[in-house]
Amino acid sequence: MGLVCRLLEERGIATTYVATGRDLAALVNPPRALFVNHPMGNNFGAAGDRETQTAIMRAALGLIESATEGGIIVDMPTYWEKEFSFGPGGGGS
Amino acid sequence: MEWIRYVDTLNDHYRSQGNPPYRWSVNESAPLHRLSKPLTECKVSVLTSGGVSQCAMPAFNPNAKNDHRLDAIAFDTESSDFQVHDNYYDHTDAEEDINCIFPLDRLRELADKGEIGSVAPRLWSGFMGRIYNRTKIAEESGPAFANALLADGVDILLAAPT
Repeated sequence: MGLVCRLLEERGIATTYVATGRDLAALVNPPRALFVNHPMGNNFGAAGDRETQTAIMRAALGLIESATEGGIIVDMPTYWEKEFSFGPGGGGS
Repeated sequence: MEWIRYVDTLNDHYRSQGNPPYRWSVNESAPLHRLSKPLTECKVSVLTSGGVSQCAMPAFNPNAKNDHRLDAIAFDTESSDFQVHDNYYDHTDAEEDINCIFPLDRLRELADKGEIGSVAPRLWSGFMGRIYNRTKIAEESGPAFANALLADGVDILLAAPT
């Protein structure tokens, strides 16, 4: 999806890539990435946590205005209560 | 907690499945389009690659490879009208509240509050992971998506990869 963001940017559409994988984002290097250290699939927060979901949306939109060079990765100040892992092919926890 | 090293984990998994080594896209630089108007005047859309489809649509293949399917979802779709099929992440939360991965309620609220100009008429789900044939993204599915967004007058796309 980072490739799609790069392509859209070249067509005049501004993008923010809201990533839970910091290493994945760094490789593909989208124009703007907001790294959210949550489990994959909780890019905007936990179920029912409207406050965090809105905060991450605002941060992603804020990057649209504040970024001055392509390839920026900003770390979202966030906290996930439980330890989590990633298990491809069988989900994670 | 420390962030997860997805690249190493996925490389091991793909190898264990007998797949060829995944060729990660590595880009040294990135383009940037700066907007000439404030957020309050911008039309915003969202894209998820999390195997999210409306209940009346076919489910995404949870083990998809090279799936360039892209669903357009009307901006006013009820947030309860979704199913999630993707075996590469835990979508328990997303099934309970689709805004975890596809924040259409939050986007509509920001428009109602005047923090963005408007919600685009179409929101998007597709480009699931494990796409090996990236030339097709560059030459076909990517440009077609850009054309659709431009036809809708979209200024900003927020992308939620899985």
